[in-house]
Amino acid sequence: MVSADPTKAPPVLLQMRGIVKQFPGARALDGVDLEIRAGEVHCLLGQNGAGKSTLIKVLAGAHQPDEGEILVDGTAVTIPHPVAGLKLGIATMYQELDVVDGLSVAENIYLGHELAVGGFSQRRAATAHTRAILKRLGHGDISPHREVGQLSAAGKQIVSMARALSHDARVIVMDEPSAVLDSEEVANLFRVVHELTSSGVAIVYISHRLDEIRQIGDRITVLKDGRTVATNLAVAQTPTADLIRLMTGRDVEYAIPPRPPVPDDAPTLLHVDGLGLAGSFSDVSFDVRAGEVVGLAGLVGSGRTEILETIFGARKRTAGTVSVGGETLRPGSVSGAVKAGIGLSPEERKSQGLILDEPVYRNITLSTFTRTANASFLDEAAERRVAKEQIDALDVRPSDPARAARTLSGGNQQKVLLARWLVHGCRVLLLDEPTRGVDVGARSEIYALIANLAKGGAAVVVVSSEIAEVIGLSDRILVVSEGRVVHDGPATSIDEHRVLDLVMEGSAA
Amino acid sequence: MSEQTTPGAAVPGRSVTELAGDVPVHADRPAQAPRRGLLHGPAGRNLGLVIALLAICIFGVATAGERFASPENALTILRLASVTGVVSIGMTFVIIGAGIDLSVGSVIGLASVWASTLATQTMAQDLNWGVMVVTALAVGLCAGLVNGVLIAYGKVVAFIATLAMMVAARGLAEIIAQRKTQVVSVQGFLDFFRGDLIGIPTLVWIFVLVSVAGWILLNRTTFGRRTIAVGGNPEAARLAGIKVKRHTMYLYALSGLGAGIGGVMMLGRTTAGSSTNGLFLELDVIAAVVVGGTLLVGGRGTIVGTVLGVLIFTTLSNVFTQNNLSSSAQAVAKGVIIVVAVMLQQRIAGRTPAKT
Amino acid sequence: MSAPLHRRWLAVAGATAAFALIAAGCTSNTPEADDTAAAVAPAAAGSNDEPGDKVTIAFSGPAADHGWLGAINSAAKAEAEKYSDVDFVMAEGTNDVSVQISQIEQFINDGVDAIVLLPSDGAALTEVATKAMNAGIPVVNVDREFSDPNAARTTVLGDNYGMGVSAGEYICEQLGGTAGAKVAEIAGVDSLPLTQDRSRGFKDALTKCGLKVDARVAAGFTVETGEEAASELLQANPKLDAIWNHDDDQGIGVLAAIDAAGRDEFFMVGGAGSKNAMDAIKADDTVLKATVIYPSTQGADGVKLARLLAQNKGMSDLVDAAVPRTVQLYAPIVTKENVDEYLPIGFAS
Repeated sequence: MVSADPTKAPPVLLQMRGIVKQFPGARALDGVDLEIRAGEVHCLLGQNGAGKSTLIKVLAGAHQPDEGEILVDGTAVTIPHPVAGLKLGIATMYQELDVVDGLSVAENIYLGHELAVGGFSQRRAATAHTRAILKRLGHGDISPHREVGQLSAAGKQIVSMARALSHDARVIVMDEPSAVLDSEEVANLFRVVHELTSSGVAIVYISHRLDEIRQIGDRITVLKDGRTVATNLAVAQTPTADLIRLMTGRDVEYAIPPRPPVPDDAPTLLHVDGLGLAGSFSDVSFDVRAGEVVGLAGLVGSGRTEILETIFGARKRTAGTVSVGGETLRPGSVSGAVKAGIGLSPEERKSQGLILDEPVYRNITLSTFTRTANASFLDEAAERRVAKEQIDALDVRPSDPARAARTLSGGNQQKVLLARWLVHGCRVLLLDEPTRGVDVGARSEIYALIANLAKGGAAVVVVSSEIAEVIGLSDRILVVSEGRVVHDGPATSIDEHRVLDLVMEGSAA
Repeated sequence: MSEQTTPGAAVPGRSVTELAGDVPVHADRPAQAPRRGLLHGPAGRNLGLVIALLAICIFGVATAGERFASPENALTILRLASVTGVVSIGMTFVIIGAGIDLSVGSVIGLASVWASTLATQTMAQDLNWGVMVVTALAVGLCAGLVNGVLIAYGKVVAFIATLAMMVAARGLAEIIAQRKTQVVSVQGFLDFFRGDLIGIPTLVWIFVLVSVAGWILLNRTTFGRRTIAVGGNPEAARLAGIKVKRHTMYLYALSGLGAGIGGVMMLGRTTAGSSTNGLFLELDVIAAVVVGGTLLVGGRGTIVGTVLGVLIFTTLSNVFTQNNLSSSAQAVAKGVIIVVAVMLQQRIAGRTPAKT
Repeated sequence: MSAPLHRRWLAVAGATAAFALIAAGCTSNTPEADDTAAAVAPAAAGSNDEPGDKVTIAFSGPAADHGWLGAINSAAKAEAEKYSDVDFVMAEGTNDVSVQISQIEQFINDGVDAIVLLPSDGAALTEVATKAMNAGIPVVNVDREFSDPNAARTTVLGDNYGMGVSAGEYICEQLGGTAGAKVAEIAGVDSLPLTQDRSRGFKDALTKCGLKVDARVAAGFTVETGEEAASELLQANPKLDAIWNHDDDQGIGVLAAIDAAGRDEFFMVGGAGSKNAMDAIKADDTVLKATVIYPSTQGADGVKLARLLAQNKGMSDLVDAAVPRTVQLYAPIVTKENVDEYLPIGFAS
């Protein structure tokens, strides 16, 4: 915690003043100030597009600022390239982890600064150092010889962190480190962060999850539209509402809208019976009625994503049946599922959901362009029209249907995916991590959208790593652990702790 | 908390409330949106190609004058471009679909040989010269289907599957022709494919028709949309309900069919079926498609660009011959053009072809 | 096969009868070796085709992807089959230098009696040929010369320079000093020394009668490249008086291009001497009026000479007792007048 007494405050390691970065057509940074002290966790908040990514790239030496200055230990420095940044003790863990899958843990850690004598790599020394660093991170269990491609996302993150430490980093920038982790792994990450800060390392922590920031943050800097709108706010003394207002420029209920209970006579739309996928999960049975939201809670790797994909036919089920409105689906047939009215919004939006270089409207009509076509000839005017209707209805921004999907923020990309299935007229929607990488403002909108979908008579299944989110959104909760459903009950009769307990019990069993 | 500054102080002269007020709702602004403009769309990329083609033409007129600028010469260029052009249209679809087809040159050889065997020619004499055309198209289509099935359902990497077909089809052509040159003697066939319509050679008409059909297929039909989707992001296409495997198979069948048409045209052009027909043609075809702006990683490409790419290479070769320059110098120029064209496209498009 | 077999049996039987009871040392492992009894006399005129020592002759050449090369192979094979005393080993044709080198190494290991080698690249195979010579195996170099003459015992060459000269002289003769006559040349694969020799001969012959090569393109010995090169050539030169096309195989494509362009103001001379070309010359209904022979019998000649070398014989029509170092074949011009004489050796393209 930062002391209230300035004279006793830890020394300032790093300062950025008035940083400006101009890109062709956009001023990404327009006067950013940041001050990092030794041993603190400094949280960087801001919506997508606020300039966080650009800022950390400037800090890492990947971009050169057009104006402003950077001071390390009070001395002005330039960081012309990433190696210079590392030399100054600034290491960055990017969201898309920059590890090489084909190399071993030790090779990854010493990539670019291999321990070598006269051109011969000192494998033994590298292994020993690696082991020491991993131990410091509390992960002595990871072998330095292991191929990184075989590690989980959490493991790769540890490798990335170990690499930062191998450079004797004094400031480590973490860009949404928890995005790929489940709650247990997040807890472990926090433990590591604590150890690092207690040894004087400063962490710049970027996250959309306010609860995390409350848990480990010391001070907060808020960016908006490329500017610092507030800096050095003490975490403990700043109410959430203030933060949201600072980030969005308006007051936002970071909350899930209430929904009326599902009427008793609502018909069952999705019927899953004894569903199994060899090597992943088995014996999953549940029904979803029209207007109902069912949540699947569980850790990453528990089988929740696989359950959704198997229902959708993206994986070929090895046991059980799936039926929609009484009609049984053919195993392993996505097109059959889509025809029956199921839509899946996948976990990895960019790699599984969107064609990034194609315009937004074509992404929206990806499942329906055949329908609007006349005898195989596309009707692009009709496509634009239906896409535009959804863009307006879901408030996709920017609202230009011809814009490439790549240029949209995470929240708006999510809306595009939902729009695709709305155009298709899906009765059953499977949403895998609908709010991952979505900023606070857009998040509330997604919640409202899901509520509206249910109100409109759709059957919705939601998977999320954020337990509070699943509980808040759903009428019923299924807790999945190690490929089995360990609990099935109304969302009102369960809370976050109970879910965690169930998950842990399941894992222990 | 002495170092805590007020929010407004961070941005001198503006208060938080002002900031909150002047931005309507949460502007979810995309980071660094690429600037759009005339030069940044597909039209812009093609503009670069038109400029390159014009530059070669100007060079041609400057050095060879009338001889280059004559309508006859234009037709000669188009006629020589026709085989490569037709095959390139099929290849454009495969490459937009994130694949590659190395077998087209060999399939041309196989189709031309099969369609000109003694047996086929005898049948063509007895029935109709269309027999030869149907034979060549069927051979091309079958070879393409084999490629497609291997790649889509057999999960063989496209590069390897079509490399195997490239070697095998050439070998089969040699076996069938017994390494002899089979001269076509079916007069109806020769009259049609070596003839012309309103002064324009049949081969050029075929090139034009195939290009137009290809353009419509890519830009105006569900098949084209699927192709772009499958190449742009196969997983997203699959999860949107598109039958990716089946479509992939169709793409290679289409390319094979293109090579079959190329085989027929080659027979018309040279009046002989030979296992050496189409040798190394796949390299010219891929070069033309890539120079034409189609990304090798898939998802993006244009028919117009491909046609321009083919014309650039053929015109270049024509200009060199007009000036009595050696074929070696021509090869060097081709290499330079490939690199320069691709680099220019990246500049004009304002981005490197990032793998998506 | 039955006649030679029969003869062999007789010889074997005779030899067995004569030596059956004598020392075991005389009984060779292979009964064929006892054939020595049949022909021990030194070479005498007229006796060269008589069966001699049983010899193994190995042949290696490029892939027969061209009518002329196909003819080379089949003629060599046919020639070898004429001799009962020749065991003919023919390696699969290849354009891969390293594969051909390993083929020769295999021949050396097998201890063949003579090697006939048409190298895919003369210089690249010189070393392995020298190795064979050092191992005591005579090498007959066919068509494409080694870089070191000592790498072969005998070299059988077509006359590429002579081809060019013959074509040039014929064109000179036909144009008869027409001032400003335009002559074009369609060469084959430009990087091959043989193409360069042909072009040099052509140029030299033209120079003598005051003509020059006004336009030159290179094709690739295939129909397709012939058509393409000729189309470009014709387009670039609106009026021509004569064309020499190096190769009759690519000539099919060249004629297709000439036909497509509807041009007939010139005459054309071909090269190599395919049956197609000779038929056309005989029929006299195209611009092709003559062709220069590049004998496709070189391989056969090579086999014949290899047999003599292996059997220690000379050439019966020469006084010298040994096979000459170099045999260069003539490159005659074939026109309508003498085409019938050459039709039998025209190769099918």
